[in-house]
Amino acid sequence: MKDWFGLVARLVTGGVWIVAGALKLPYPADSVRAVRAYDLLPEAVVPAVGHLLPVVEVVIGLCLVLGVMVRGMSVVSALLFVAFIIGISSAWARGLSIDCGCFGGGGEIPDAAAKYPGEIARDVGLLALSLWLVVRPRSRLALETVLFPRTTDTDPTTEDEGSLDGAEEDLAQDR
Amino acid sequence: MAQKKTSHRTAEEKAATQAKRDARRARTERARAEAEERRKAQKRKEQLTRYGLIAGVLALVVGGYFLITSLGSDKPDTAPAGASGNYGLVVGDADAPKEIVVYEDFLCPFCGQLEQTVGDQLDAAVEAGEVNVEYRPLPFLERISDYSPESANAFAVVLDESGPEVAKAFHDLLFDNQPSEDGPFPDEDQLVEWAVEAGATEADVRPGIEDMAFEGWVEAAGEAASKEGINSTPSVFVDGQKVEGETLADIAAAMVGSGS
Repeated sequence: MKDWFGLVARLVTGGVWIVAGALKLPYPADSVRAVRAYDLLPEAVVPAVGHLLPVVEVVIGLCLVLGVMVRGMSVVSALLFVAFIIGISSAWARGLSIDCGCFGGGGEIPDAAAKYPGEIARDVGLLALSLWLVVRPRSRLALETVLFPRTTDTDPTTEDEGSLDGAEEDLAQDR
Repeated sequence: MAQKKTSHRTAEEKAATQAKRDARRARTERARAEAEERRKAQKRKEQLTRYGLIAGVLALVVGGYFLITSLGSDKPDTAPAGASGNYGLVVGDADAPKEIVVYEDFLCPFCGQLEQTVGDQLDAAVEAGEVNVEYRPLPFLERISDYSPESANAFAVVLDESGPEVAKAFHDLLFDNQPSEDGPFPDEDQLVEWAVEAGATEADVRPGIEDMAFEGWVEAAGEAASKEGINSTPSVFVDGQKVEGETLADIAAAMVGSGS
């Protein structure tokens, strides 16, 4: 049951990352402007963050949906959501009226304040799902389970273990 | 006697059992070693897969980053002839007592409304030498439609080929015929048509409009404006002061109000 919940968490979080990143990928300048609009990061790193973020988002999303490196990716995912929550809260607190730029776009928009609570709530929810996956990265239908089978699970080594156990039993009998 | 025989057999059996035991022990050791070997091999394989995955992800991120960063960086950002050093077109007397800078996007509806509201009065004020206006077109709405950068590029082409007066007329035409943000959006032929209507020669402007000759300049304009803190269009500055009006009327008043 928990494994199924993990699958849902992966698909929801990963899906959101893929969509968010893919919408930004074709418009790097737009992405840079969205980052700059928060007025939080030094100008020296703003273009790099704006260019890197969409790529990282898509990669995290793909890894989560496929189910590879789930724990590591969920850690990064959780950290990014924390950063976004801080960013949006800070923009709200400073009275900035900007589009969060979460799914492309960004920059000043009218009555952004009305949208901030919903955006923060969404990011908190996704943060919670990411944290769940950090604690419990194993889930159903993950590529990871195929690539790294548990030694106690059914896999080729089980048979060998069995024969080894048998041999040991023989030995015990002899003694 | 029977007793002895039995014990003799037992000795033989003992020897046989001993041999069997040794054989079993050897087999066990071998099985253990093989299993260990297999486990190690499996572990090595998994480790390799893990490193491979990490390397793959890193390659994706780094590759994607460089691809995105290099995209468009090869476009020259040569300014069109007649443009100001600030990615704009200055209209009016350079020594006019009042200086206005307008950051606008040909696709932004609010910019269009502002043009319709103050355009004529502003033109009259420019004519009277009371004010000069710098129009700085931006491609901020490129995500909504390519029309945003395309129209800004067309403006630059017209300015470059046909001079400031035709460019100003073209600018006004673009706002008079502004498409909705939901489309449909004018195509290149339509842009050329308006340029000709403004007074440009089709043969002069068509290539530049079709080839996005000033795309790099338009993008640089967006970048420069963003760095100056311009997050939305229209953004209006009067004598270097940003007009912080909430409504169109506020901005219009600051531009053509009692001050002029």
